[in-house]
Amino acid sequence: MARADAIRLALANLLIPISILIFATGFFPYKPFMPGLATYEELGWEDSMKWEKDAVPEAQFDRIVFMVVDALRSDFVFGKESGMEFVHSLIIQGSALPFTAHATSPTITMPRVKAMTTGSIPSFLDVILNFAESDTSSTLATQDTWLAQLKAKNEGKLVMYGDDTWLKLFPDFFERADGTSSFFVSDFTEVDNNVTRHVPEELANRDWNGMVMHYLGLDHIGHKAGPLSPNMVPKQREMDDIVKQIWLAMENDRMHANTLLVLCGDHGMNEGGNHGGSAPGETSPALVFISRKMHKIMKDWTPFQSPIEPGSGGEFDYYRTVEQNDIVPTLAGLLGFPVPRNNLGVFVPYLLNLWDDPMDRMKLLLRNAKQVKKIVEATFPSKCFVDTEQEMDCTSPKSVGDDLACKWQNIVQVMSITEKAGAEAAFEVIYNFLYTAQDVMSTTASNYNVSRLFLGTSLAFLSLALSFRNLAIHTISLPGLFFALTLLLYGILMFASSYVEEEHHFWYWATSAWFFTLFISSSRKSWFRKFIFHPAIMLLFLLRIARRWNQTGQKYAGAPDIVHSQIFKGGDGFLLWTLVGATYMDLTNRLSRHVARSIADPETAVSEEYGSTDANRVLGLIGVLPLTSTAFIFKLAFTARDAPELTKGITSGLLGFVNHIALVPNARLVFGGIALSAAWLASVEWIASRRRKGSGKRGAEGKGDLAVAVFDLMSLFLVTQTRAQNIPLYLLFRMMVFFLSILDLPPTQITLTTLLLTQTSFFLLGNSNAISSIDLSNSYNGISDYNISAVGTLVFLSNWAGPIYFSLAGLILLGSHGRILRHVAEDELEQRDWVKEEREHLRSLVESEERVRGRRRDWGVWRRHVTLLTAFVGSALVAVMGACLVLRTHLFIWTVFSPKFLFAVAWGVAWHWGVSLGLGAGVWWVGGW
Amino acid sequence: MSTAAPTKPRAPATPIDILSNDTAKLYTHIHPALVLSLYAYQFRSIVADPVPALLNTLLPLAALQIGYVAVCLPPTGSGTAAGVEKKRPGEKKKVVEGGIGGKIIPAFLSLVLSALVATPILTATLVLFGAPVTTHHFHTLLCGAHISLLSTLPLVYVHGVDGHTWREVVALLLPIDEVYGGMIGTVMGAWLGAVPIPLDWDREWQKWPVTIVTGAYIGFAVGKLVGGTLLKGKKIMFE
Repeated sequence: MARADAIRLALANLLIPISILIFATGFFPYKPFMPGLATYEELGWEDSMKWEKDAVPEAQFDRIVFMVVDALRSDFVFGKESGMEFVHSLIIQGSALPFTAHATSPTITMPRVKAMTTGSIPSFLDVILNFAESDTSSTLATQDTWLAQLKAKNEGKLVMYGDDTWLKLFPDFFERADGTSSFFVSDFTEVDNNVTRHVPEELANRDWNGMVMHYLGLDHIGHKAGPLSPNMVPKQREMDDIVKQIWLAMENDRMHANTLLVLCGDHGMNEGGNHGGSAPGETSPALVFISRKMHKIMKDWTPFQSPIEPGSGGEFDYYRTVEQNDIVPTLAGLLGFPVPRNNLGVFVPYLLNLWDDPMDRMKLLLRNAKQVKKIVEATFPSKCFVDTEQEMDCTSPKSVGDDLACKWQNIVQVMSITEKAGAEAAFEVIYNFLYTAQDVMSTTASNYNVSRLFLGTSLAFLSLALSFRNLAIHTISLPGLFFALTLLLYGILMFASSYVEEEHHFWYWATSAWFFTLFISSSRKSWFRKFIFHPAIMLLFLLRIARRWNQTGQKYAGAPDIVHSQIFKGGDGFLLWTLVGATYMDLTNRLSRHVARSIADPETAVSEEYGSTDANRVLGLIGVLPLTSTAFIFKLAFTARDAPELTKGITSGLLGFVNHIALVPNARLVFGGIALSAAWLASVEWIASRRRKGSGKRGAEGKGDLAVAVFDLMSLFLVTQTRAQNIPLYLLFRMMVFFLSILDLPPTQITLTTLLLTQTSFFLLGNSNAISSIDLSNSYNGISDYNISAVGTLVFLSNWAGPIYFSLAGLILLGSHGRILRHVAEDELEQRDWVKEEREHLRSLVESEERVRGRRRDWGVWRRHVTLLTAFVGSALVAVMGACLVLRTHLFIWTVFSPKFLFAVAWGVAWHWGVSLGLGAGVWWVGGW
Repeated sequence: MSTAAPTKPRAPATPIDILSNDTAKLYTHIHPALVLSLYAYQFRSIVADPVPALLNTLLPLAALQIGYVAVCLPPTGSGTAAGVEKKRPGEKKKVVEGGIGGKIIPAFLSLVLSALVATPILTATLVLFGAPVTTHHFHTLLCGAHISLLSTLPLVYVHGVDGHTWREVVALLLPIDEVYGGMIGTVMGAWLGAVPIPLDWDREWQKWPVTIVTGAYIGFAVGKLVGGTLLKGKKIMFE
């Protein structure tokens, strides 16, 4: 029976990663990829149109300055509040052609750079690869980009200054380069000065035909203080001055007579200054083509006004809107090289007017269309895309593929009568085909492998069924009912896009109700005289404070919370650092007990309550103080650089030296200290447990102190991986664990509480199901060179710190009821401990021979705990996968449901396997020593 | 630490029966309909501007509730409507005043108690469950007042202020009847009323505290109906 249970549990857990893997391979769509560099090919209509073979419309420009300003939202350039007055004057005089360039989600730098250089629409996997930047499969070195084409053309040379994402994407591409990493977002000036200082020198150089600049400062200001930050307009002025500097060179230097300046943002930002999602602010960067030649286009049109109010399309909709990847075929035409092969962009119509001959314009468009057609052909291999006239039923195309085939056929037919119909008719059908193709290929809804999606979901369901079978539910119990309802409601809510965005509300709501249920449940047994101070009510109260700590989710993003309140921002950060200090003091105190116990005389330690004397306690404190104070100093030094506004009052005065501490060795010191302490405590406990077993004395079972020690050391590590503003939350967590231990819940209720608090604490720390909410600030602690697995682990550990904390806390509540209290509130619980020990003593007499069996029963407790957690992970996966499967054509699939799937993967693999199963089993094991 | 309440031998609580006259039997079914109609009538103005509208609705709600308890329910200490003698070991005066005065006065007392005592407690509970704490003070207070009038006014009327009974009320130990069912329904409804708030439907009525109050009203009607019929006399089992 037990064996069958164990096999089922193992199977249920194995199915979790398997189902995820199968689902993921079917979910992330296959995109046809064309290797190699594009070359000019025959158009196919040379004879009928009497065009010269290989005749290519003459390039309008021979050099390009590609100036990317990170997070340059459209209104920062065009809006009434914009500080870019020189650009305004260029727009008014007709030397600059302004656009709003629609960027697709995910709006983070690397996929955007990919879109702007290859013209493709980066797949969602690029989000993951964005965090795994050094992965070679994500470099564009072997792909067809306008950079590669420019380099290939007349042996051109490229230079690059700014965000080192470009250097990672294009290794060994640039003749000269100076990369800046966006490590500390508090750096507003250095990152940009590092680019600007190269500008005069490079403008005087003759050798390059492409210069890329990528300014990060504006993005940093956004992340730090939002789009309305007082630093924003001065930064726009600074960018404006650089445009002016380049413009003056273009005007005055003859070698820049044919230089094109493109000013653009890679993405925008939302009201909170973050990006990653698909809010209008995030997807609306500015795009400006600047050259004196633009007069030629503008002379037929009424001049633009600037600055202006946004258009009817929305708050960030200025001038005309184009797709961001339209840059690629446009640059190909303007600079005279073949359109890169994976491009899905469409030549920006207005710029076609730079060519006087309609036939030149037609050739450019046809090349664009033929190149896009190749991708369409590869996507819909069964459809007919030939260049000869065909009989087709195009009255009501059955699928998008048929529709595209019909639109291509339209081109073929119009081309055969162009001489009669005129070029304008051809432009219309070609644009019609291109825009439809762009639209279809950017949604790629047709590319799911639905059978794999079904298989993955079914396997997750099987896992759920197996763990449910293990639970062997016979009677309806309160926690059982609550657990089932939570699972059911959670599953339903995963189908509502707004509840995916606002998932924290569900957990706050459910956890509050659970705490209140605990209050009712305990009141049924005995009435707590001062019911306001009932532990469950205190839990509710603590949760209410913690809920207010970080505002998360989409709907109320930017609403007031404690972290952003004057409590922390004002007052030079003394209150914050007092609370942070208190958290570290608590950890010091707890750790010193463990050390004190470890140096106590083992003979007396068994009998004495805490195994420590005053002298030992002092020694323990001395032993542990270097570690915790180093950790505290590290946090202070890190925050002084990452968020200087929080440490102003402290770093300017007493602790000024922290500004000069090297962070990497300091972090390593902390991590090393934690590991060393763990090793020391483990070895002492191991020896003690050997001795206990050898002595065979009654009552000589271990108290599971090592599990508590591991938990405390882990807490110190997690605090190190948490932003300073969130560290006081660990004081609240600590108190929650304390009140939970007073409640002395039965095992199933502890498991349910653990489950609710792991989920809740994830959101309490400010996370959400949006990619933009992932906090990277602590993911390089102690790492000097980029190491994908180390950074990935730290990203997980710092974002899942709360869940890990409560996962371990739950185990300790489960494994040794009340024991954790020894370290928290001794006097209150002595009496109870006495009763308990007495009971333990009696039982040990009765069961001394059955100790092995007893321990195995302990593993049974752990198994049941894990079974419940597995059931939850299984049902969450079923719900998320089911939502992604059913809603795969939903408008929000790439913006809401896919990120949720990625988070579900992290919960299912890293958290469930790594923490609940891996770390959990370890702690349970050492707790049994 | 938690201590058990002093154990006195007490008669197990019995479910409340409505008065056994025809008016009471009829009106107890009309009342929830009236309450819901009142709310439906006011709904538009509550959505438009919650604070004055909720305030204006309080008075008619109080009147309806007072009418309901006076017509349908036995006041505290009167024993059950069937006339079964159920004396409590002398704490209060047990004189059952006859006539309308003997009903209206306890009904008004229940109103005062639920307004002054239950409302702050329920408002505090709302805040603990996530009601805004720095803004919308009057919204939350009025929400608490509505829940209190719906749920506690009839309970105070039938059970008085006996501490032990109220502990049983909180601990869900009383047998279910239409009064107790109404209270549980109101509270559960208010809790469930929070569900639509985060949805992105951009409706006016999603604002605080419209859904909570709506949930409370619907929960009251449902709980009262189910408690008075289907689940009458049942006890809530926890484990």
